[in-house]
Amino acid sequence: MQPGLSFEQAPPISVPFRFFLTAPLFGMAAGLLLLWQGPSALLSRWTSVALALTHLLAVGFMLQAMCGALLQMLPVAAGANIWQPKRVTQLTHAGLTIGTLLLVAGFLGEQALLFQIAVPFMTVSLGAFAVIVLVALFRTPALGPTIIALRIAVFGLIVTISLGATLASAFGWQLALPLTEITHVHAAWGLGGWSLLLVAGVAYLVVPMFQLTPPYPTWLARSFSVTLFFLLTAWSITWLPLQRPDGLQVALACAAALLATVFAVVTLRLQGQRRRKVTEPTLLFWRLAMACLIVAAFAVILQQLNPGSEDHAGTPFLLGVLLMVGVFMPVISGMLYKIMPFLNWLHLQKIGKPGLVVPNMRQMISEPRMMMQFRLHLAALLLLLGAVPLPLLVYPGGLALIASCIWLEWNLIVATRNFARFSRELEERLAKEQAA
Amino acid sequence: MAEERVIDGRGLMPPEPMELTLTALDTLPDGEELLLLLYCEPQPLYGILKQNGYTHRSQTRPDGTVEVRIKKA
Repeated sequence: MQPGLSFEQAPPISVPFRFFLTAPLFGMAAGLLLLWQGPSALLSRWTSVALALTHLLAVGFMLQAMCGALLQMLPVAAGANIWQPKRVTQLTHAGLTIGTLLLVAGFLGEQALLFQIAVPFMTVSLGAFAVIVLVALFRTPALGPTIIALRIAVFGLIVTISLGATLASAFGWQLALPLTEITHVHAAWGLGGWSLLLVAGVAYLVVPMFQLTPPYPTWLARSFSVTLFFLLTAWSITWLPLQRPDGLQVALACAAALLATVFAVVTLRLQGQRRRKVTEPTLLFWRLAMACLIVAAFAVILQQLNPGSEDHAGTPFLLGVLLMVGVFMPVISGMLYKIMPFLNWLHLQKIGKPGLVVPNMRQMISEPRMMMQFRLHLAALLLLLGAVPLPLLVYPGGLALIASCIWLEWNLIVATRNFARFSRELEERLAKEQAA
Repeated sequence: MAEERVIDGRGLMPPEPMELTLTALDTLPDGEELLLLLYCEPQPLYGILKQNGYTHRSQTRPDGTVEVRIKKA
């Protein structure tokens, strides 16, 4: 296609792919845990099972995929170069994978020793990742709302890691700390300050790019991440052990939830204005995620305005399912179905020479297979939400979650194998041409 | 006065705009400019241009369109 053009030194394709291929395995483990524990998983957010389940999804699935995407996205989309990408990748991937296993085993077995190992292990690997990424984000010459959102998101990750390490240390060394308060702030920064801001920063770029929508309105792109950051910071301060201003705490939480709703509504409106009215899997995953974000935000507002509702055992499970299974897992699945084919194409271009046509992105993962995973994931979400009033639905819900994650894993393996096959074919054709 | 060829990538799905741009660069005469219109900064393309002896200037219009003007260095 393009004679003589060489590509810049992007990280090797194995950098993000190892994260992407690991993430669904933790989703499967979460489904298995649901099957094993049944309705008792819904009893309270503070049980060992609920904490293990939360971290299998939040760290095992979400953070794993997000770290991989960020490592690849920074050079490709933001022009930011990561220091020692191979080493950082190995350290982060090992830290995340082994750390998640230690953490989950620690929760389930209630073993202080496992927390004592997990704390330094995860703090060093994830902390190093966050600092290196943050430095790259401050050194890039690129500007704009995506960079600002990503910088704040990575700062949010550092807050989440620090608070998580504090909590795990309390379990490991029996420290007397205000665990409830720290957990609230840890969860809010993990889901809002890191995950939602990362999604927003990525959305400003990829929603117009891959879904062919108009760009995000400047007022939203410029103000969303900074406003959410200040709301979260102010809300976190209200949890300090002073005389707690309850009214202010409720007002700040409601304002943050409303802000998230605005982002979701704008995204849905932009998708309604897309130039090609094609309904494809990534669009469906994103629309589902934005619809769940709106419902979750209203659930947060209702919970805030009705003190005591959190004591109802179903409320935290409902919010957890809405946010993790409803918002972040679909966004990640939808993105992976764009990122992996795009990276395959980009890396195959490096091998390509004049006259050699590189397979296009649609040949990497078939659309019906992606649609099938969407249906399975939707079924898992609806069944798990249904488990709040009808706890026995947790069994088919867990099964559907396992099926969705197996399907996702298989689709990603197919994309990886296709990359290997197309690379081999291109190299063979090149060798033949050179021999002739 | 150099002529200017235009690729409007705003309605195209990635990687179509990059494919069209790289193909157009194959036949871009010295002194002529290629104008690429997108809704984002094409960072992977910038790396390729730099390594292959092209220069670019980019600016953002009020509607969010990014104009990238490319020519041989």
